[in-house]
Amino acid sequence: MSNNKKKNKTLLTAARKLITTANSKAIVSEQFKTLRTNINFSMPDRETKTMLFTSASPSEGKSTVAANSAVVFAQEGKRVLLIDGDMRKPTVHYTFHLTNTSGLSNLLTGQAHLEGVIKHHEIENLDIVTCGPIPPNPAELLGSNRMEKIIGDLKEKYDMIIFDAPPVLSVTDAQILSNLCDGTVIVLSAGKTQKDALLKAKEALIASKANILGVVLNNYVLQKDHYYYQYYGVEE
Amino acid sequence: MKETITIQDIFKTIKKRLSLIVILTIIALAISAIVSYVVLTPIYQSSTQILVSQEKTEVNSFSSQDIETNLQLINTYNVIIKSPAILSLVIDELELNTTAAALTNKITVSNAEDSQVVNITVQDPDPQKAVDIANKTAEVFQAQIKTLMQVNNVSVLTPAVLGDNPTPVKPDPMLNMAIAAVIGMMLGVGLAFLLEYLDTTVKTEEDIEELLQLPVLGLISNISEKDLQSTKLEVIDRRKRL
Repeated sequence: MSNNKKKNKTLLTAARKLITTANSKAIVSEQFKTLRTNINFSMPDRETKTMLFTSASPSEGKSTVAANSAVVFAQEGKRVLLIDGDMRKPTVHYTFHLTNTSGLSNLLTGQAHLEGVIKHHEIENLDIVTCGPIPPNPAELLGSNRMEKIIGDLKEKYDMIIFDAPPVLSVTDAQILSNLCDGTVIVLSAGKTQKDALLKAKEALIASKANILGVVLNNYVLQKDHYYYQYYGVEE
Repeated sequence: MKETITIQDIFKTIKKRLSLIVILTIIALAISAIVSYVVLTPIYQSSTQILVSQEKTEVNSFSSQDIETNLQLINTYNVIIKSPAILSLVIDELELNTTAAALTNKITVSNAEDSQVVNITVQDPDPQKAVDIANKTAEVFQAQIKTLMQVNNVSVLTPAVLGDNPTPVKPDPMLNMAIAAVIGMMLGVGLAFLLEYLDTTVKTEEDIEELLQLPVLGLISNISEKDLQSTKLEVIDRRKRL
């Protein structure tokens, strides 16, 4: 009971964290734009179309970072598709206030077509595929040929496909997805992620031949003398 | 992996755990204050000066040998004053509930800068008692020395007196508190570094680059409620203006 309550609460907080649409002038929004720029520069040949956000352990901010990144990429004018690849604890539909009656799991089991599961968001250029009903065999579904084919089809229609994946060390899904994607971004929470866990996650991703673009340091405590403060001073 | 600690790191660590250090310092201060003022019994000190005068045997024959003999004599007196022979008499006369060995610890005998003046200093929780013991010891010594060494050259120079408002010589609360504050602060700093060392989480960009050899694509601060709400307020403001 209490566990359920707690879960609801965390899901609610996750849902409220869409900062880039809520307040595009906030420092955090600016930080997401910097992240977008850095990701753009880290793939100069423009070959990276599919991207995966994962982390070493749960609740380090993958979904928040993935959702906000999708928004900033869409704001840049790219046609962006955000796919909830976490078929164990999906949160994307909470973040964007969508229904989760049909989604990726339907697509992978052949119960639905692409057009049926893609949901348009009020932000221009941003489409979303939620997780759908939670399947019993997410790893097998993600590793199936159908998944590869779907990604191939989607690459035709979108400039950027962003996956929100489960944590690397908890389940194997992220490894499977990272192998399918052109780029992988590791999200980690400052002061929370353990160094050895991070190393193990990196090894797991390298083992699955993932192309690790880099790391996003979440929950970073901005020093008062940081350049953001100097430039775009927050009025106190 | 090489571990280099810069002065900035040290300051950062101290700054981060400043509250811990301050709290430990205050706790140490409080404990020492309580111990000094409440637990420890104050000790009062009182002293008597006695003069051991020169026996005039031959005038104008002050040789260095004489001075040396005098000093040796004074050292002998020092031992005699603290001996049970004298102190047991003091105990008897003052009807003290103590032993000669215990009383020895309370008495310090010194002679000021090679002079012939001997200081008898007594420390006791009761200021009146300290005065009494000091005076009585001098008195008994003066009386006993005649029979012990067949000399009659000891006189009391300044008897001990009880002041109007005696102040204890120890404990010294200020000194104790200063020591405790320094110890508490050092303990806090030590603990701060220990915690920092035990913390194996990733915190800075440098950590990541050193550990993973991967580029840091972005730093994301915690999304605060204030950030999320500020636009809502703006919208409301705009509506109000319209």
